[in-house]
Amino acid sequence: MASAQPDLVKGLSDEEMARFLALGVTTRLASGQTLFRLGTEADKAYLVTRGRIALTLPLQIRGKEEEVLVEETLPGETVGWSGFVPPHRFTLNAAAAIDSELVGFPRASVLEHFAAHPNVGHTVTRNLAAVIGHRLQVFQTMWLREMQRVVEHKYS
Amino acid sequence: MLMFATILIMSLLAVAVCAVAFGAATRGEARSAAQPERRLALEPPRFFASPAAKTAERSLVPVEMLLSQIERHVRLEQAAAEAYLDMPTRDALRSRTTSPLN
Repeated sequence: MASAQPDLVKGLSDEEMARFLALGVTTRLASGQTLFRLGTEADKAYLVTRGRIALTLPLQIRGKEEEVLVEETLPGETVGWSGFVPPHRFTLNAAAAIDSELVGFPRASVLEHFAAHPNVGHTVTRNLAAVIGHRLQVFQTMWLREMQRVVEHKYS
Repeated sequence: MLMFATILIMSLLAVAVCAVAFGAATRGEARSAAQPERRLALEPPRFFASPAAKTAERSLVPVEMLLSQIERHVRLEQAAAEAYLDMPTRDALRSRTTSPLN
């Protein structure tokens, strides 16, 4: 992994981290292979351990649907947090940009672990909130910038 | 009486000459005002492509190139958004990137 501690488990002790990571199920994807599809049920969140995951959105171009890259997730980063956030549906498409490896954390196991280890639950949830909050802030800013251009284009 | 008739004829002649001169002058203006409309209708625009030509030109751009432009735009906008979040200012919110889609 790129950083010493993956973003999801920052702040956990080595022992807590080892116990939490043991809940995960390793998934290997060949380049181009799909991890999840937009609109499908999300029951896991993933930690990228190797490779690169491309998050895309379908855009209509000349009447044809094309996948447009909106973000890439690197080792140490979390992808698919819809698995932990209601209504538990993926809002993007995800596929391996290159051969990749991830650890998937099933929601049910994670919630059970949090119930038994509230401190771990608190730390991981806070880390997850940071990941989600950052995504929200970035996309909110992108939207504001786009709106600014629309207003300039239409009314000046 | 003769003098009165002479003055009257001279005045009428002057009015006629003025009318002819005025008519000649305004006919030239009217023609030049009408001409641009005809030219606009008949001549093809020189500096800007017509909407039809633009559409044709757009459809010539390969989808792969459009996709690459869109993805470049997203990356640049994301980087600009990250920079704004590091140091939020009004200027950073309105800054332009080098994206051709801006």
